[in-house]
Amino acid sequence: MSILSLENIYKNYGSVQALKGVSFNVPKGSVFGILGPNGSGKTTMLGIIMDILKPTSGTYKLLGEVPSEKHRRQIGTFLETPNFYHYLSAERNLHIAAAIKGRGVEDIPRVLEMVNLTHRKKSRFSTFSLGMKQRLAIASCLLGNPSVLILDEPTNGLDPVGIAEIRALIKKLQLEGTTIIMASHLLDEVEKVCTHVAILKKGELVAAGGVNEILANEDIVEIGAANLSALQLSAEKFSGYTSMKVADNLIQLFYPIGTINLEEINRHFFNEGIVLNHLQLKRKSLESKFMELTN
Amino acid sequence: MIALLKVEWLKIKNYTAFIILSSFFAIGVVTVNYIIFIVNENIISQSQAVILTGKFSPFQFDKTWQTTSYASGWLLLLPALMLIILITNEFTFRTHRQNILDGWSRQQFIHVKIMMAVLIAFFSTILVFFTALAFGFYSGTSFSTHGISHVGFFFLKALSYNMIALLIGVLIRRTGFAIGVFFIYMGVENFISQLLDVLSVRLRSRNNLDLGSMGDYLPMNSADGMLTFPENPLKALTKGVMPTDYPWLVVSLCIAYMVFFYWLTVKRMVKTDL
Repeated sequence: MSILSLENIYKNYGSVQALKGVSFNVPKGSVFGILGPNGSGKTTMLGIIMDILKPTSGTYKLLGEVPSEKHRRQIGTFLETPNFYHYLSAERNLHIAAAIKGRGVEDIPRVLEMVNLTHRKKSRFSTFSLGMKQRLAIASCLLGNPSVLILDEPTNGLDPVGIAEIRALIKKLQLEGTTIIMASHLLDEVEKVCTHVAILKKGELVAAGGVNEILANEDIVEIGAANLSALQLSAEKFSGYTSMKVADNLIQLFYPIGTINLEEINRHFFNEGIVLNHLQLKRKSLESKFMELTN
Repeated sequence: MIALLKVEWLKIKNYTAFIILSSFFAIGVVTVNYIIFIVNENIISQSQAVILTGKFSPFQFDKTWQTTSYASGWLLLLPALMLIILITNEFTFRTHRQNILDGWSRQQFIHVKIMMAVLIAFFSTILVFFTALAFGFYSGTSFSTHGISHVGFFFLKALSYNMIALLIGVLIRRTGFAIGVFFIYMGVENFISQLLDVLSVRLRSRNNLDLGSMGDYLPMNSADGMLTFPENPLKALTKGVMPTDYPWLVVSLCIAYMVFFYWLTVKRMVKTDL
């Protein structure tokens, strides 16, 4: 079952098209990353799902149904910034969130403990650092142990320890069966915690699917020889690589990570009567893959 | 709605601005009426004019309802300001978004604020009722409900001010700017109202056309126009020159404006991006 499905969502701000016909599904139990550069439409999309923004056109379903406040109460959502009453303490702010969600206040100590804010529960929100505000927002999302979490840039403003803690928390929650939809512009973050990813570029969906499939980190071997066409013919007889590309008088062979054996490659072509004048192992970074998809 | 109001109570019960403005309003209502009482008892009643006009006591039953409602009506800016602060705080802190994200519908969010406007108007009216009662007894007259409808007009005026405040808050969203617009609007409307009143008097005297005090047909002035100081001997002298008052028309207009503001406020919250 899909936790969330979007069908052809458009959002215009005057002449600016923020979303251009975005469609995808979020499978149950996944950690679904929405990846894209700043201004690609990630927050706009989440805002539409949660009824903060109105789509220009298109439909979407939450938990298999047309979304309403009833569905939102079952989801822990943190969108863009931590939004709390500045003049109230952390604890009183969580009282309000719990009352709106229809949850009891007995869960508040647990969630404060989960984000290490118990010692500051009586402090006013306005006295919090950015990282603490962020952690309080995550605590609020966790109230009542929701089966779905929507987190927009959850590690923004956190120090390295805070980032690691949130990542660990996300992984733990996924193991417990929570579906997590997470927007981020941080590749590293998505790679480390997500099982699925959708990539947005200027409001368009450029790719969606399993994270290994979309952000596959490939190894590349570049080979060259005096006779390029003979080299290509010989390469076609060779196995082990996933794809081949001819570029700049060289042939690129793409391999799944860690499967390249340069000796074997060299031997194959030598046995075929081709002497390589170029043999180089190149690692394709996640970043270059992302750039390739979004530029 | 009770559950929604409980959440609103959680938001305001520890909010200093709410506590201060509520206290100022409560103390202000008693103080303003007490000042009028003292001035009337000790200055006006002792003056030579009384010999010509006869003794007039604005706080005797049945006048107390009207006097207290009229005098307290001047302080209704305080609850209106409070409502502007409460609604614009939501936009400033972006908690209007979070309330929706956490599981309120947009309708619930705005209707609980409108209910707050009604409750603030209601509690202000209760305060005015007891103040009128206390000054009525204090003036040494016996209880009468005659003229108690003015307390009802006070409620309408309070609600009208609150609805205007809420609408401005929802449209402007920034606290300082919204308060500024509220006062500018009040000034501009009063200015137009004065012009319309002058026009009304001219039409009456020159063209023998009595359209009532047209200045009272504007939104805030219709709320103000429902409450007047009790008829007194001096005021009676101006009769015959001034246009006729049409209280039913002013009350109907006030209610009609409120319905319109309600519709506009809800539409704004439900239809636009937050």
